[in-house]
Amino acid sequence: MEVTFKIFRYNPEKDERGNYVTYKIDAHPNDRVLDVLEHIKGKEDGSLSFRRSCAHGICGSDAMRINGRNMLACKTLIRDVGDHITVEPLLGLKVAKDLIVDMEPFFENYRKMLPYLINDSPLPEDGKERLQSPEQRARFDETTKCILCAACTTACPSFWANDEYYGPAALMTAHRFIFDSRDEGAEARLEILSETNGAVRCHTAYNCTEACPRGIHITQAIGELKLAMVTGNID
Amino acid sequence: MGLQRNVSLSTGLRYKGHSPFWAYILHRIGGAGMALFITIHIFSTFADQQGWKIGGLVNNLYTSVPFQIFILFCVLFHAINGLRITILDFFPQKLMPYYRQIIYVQLALFVLVFGFAAVSVVATALGRM
Ligand code: FES
Repeated sequence: MEVTFKIFRYNPEKDERGNYVTYKIDAHPNDRVLDVLEHIKGKEDGSLSFRRSCAHGICGSDAMRINGRNMLACKTLIRDVGDHITVEPLLGLKVAKDLIVDMEPFFENYRKMLPYLINDSPLPEDGKERLQSPEQRARFDETTKCILCAACTTACPSFWANDEYYGPAALMTAHRFIFDSRDEGAEARLEILSETNGAVRCHTAYNCTEACPRGIHITQAIGELKLAMVTGNID
Repeated sequence: MGLQRNVSLSTGLRYKGHSPFWAYILHRIGGAGMALFITIHIFSTFADQQGWKIGGLVNNLYTSVPFQIFILFCVLFHAINGLRITILDFFPQKLMPYYRQIIYVQLALFVLVFGFAAVSVVATALGRM
């Protein structure tokens, strides 16, 4: 089938502003958007720039706006988005070139959440693992699935309005550690989340949940964090 | 580095969110509508007191049927949507997995209440004519 690809292009060395370039490509309905982008880069226009690495929905490199919605190009089939496809960079982060955005502010917010296990208690007697039950592990299972692709954060209207807001992805990281029974940094993280740019900026538009390529119930996890902030209960 | 981060209102509105995103936008329109109403209400009362003619004109504007229906929409949508958000906030684990279905319940409730209120306003206005 013939597919019309309208792609946002911007070359910082030449262009004042971005523009759209249209390519007509012969593609199979089961091709992924990433396959077509690779084809355009390989055969039509080598200057097209986009990030990709694993090509299997694991590394989180190729989140972009496809037909007005954040998705991973490597997980989106042509047949699911039609034969007129508009591809644009994520919203709310500076465009470095074409579909590549500057992810640094995103990772800066991630780092603010102390994204590592905090536990200063002595190791168990046998000096090995800090064990937890399957139920304790299941409590934060959902948020361990995050691949930091930024699809959620850049779909969030609160983040569009204010990039100081830590954003859903950073909050997912906080959730992942706060509800981990082995971690002892919950108090410090809840303190960070209670700041002006923390969880209170979430206005439950659910764009993050809808955009997450891993199907994480992000707004729900943020809701759990808000409740923990108010009640101090992290069970 | 590169293009500035700039999400204009129109770019944001063009994002293809689902029903909760539209509820989010209407919630803000509702809030802004109420703020507008209160502002012009205070202004018209003040203007009336000062004997300015414009006070009466503004008064006529916000007592008109279309404006009353607009304000009803703002107040009722903001209130009912706010109620949904608050209830869900209290029970994230139990209720938030059903957020899509709950939006439909909210919309049904809104249509019912708003429809009744709007019909009452119009019927009263017609009765006065
Ligand atoms: S390329 Fe790794 S997630 Fe798509």
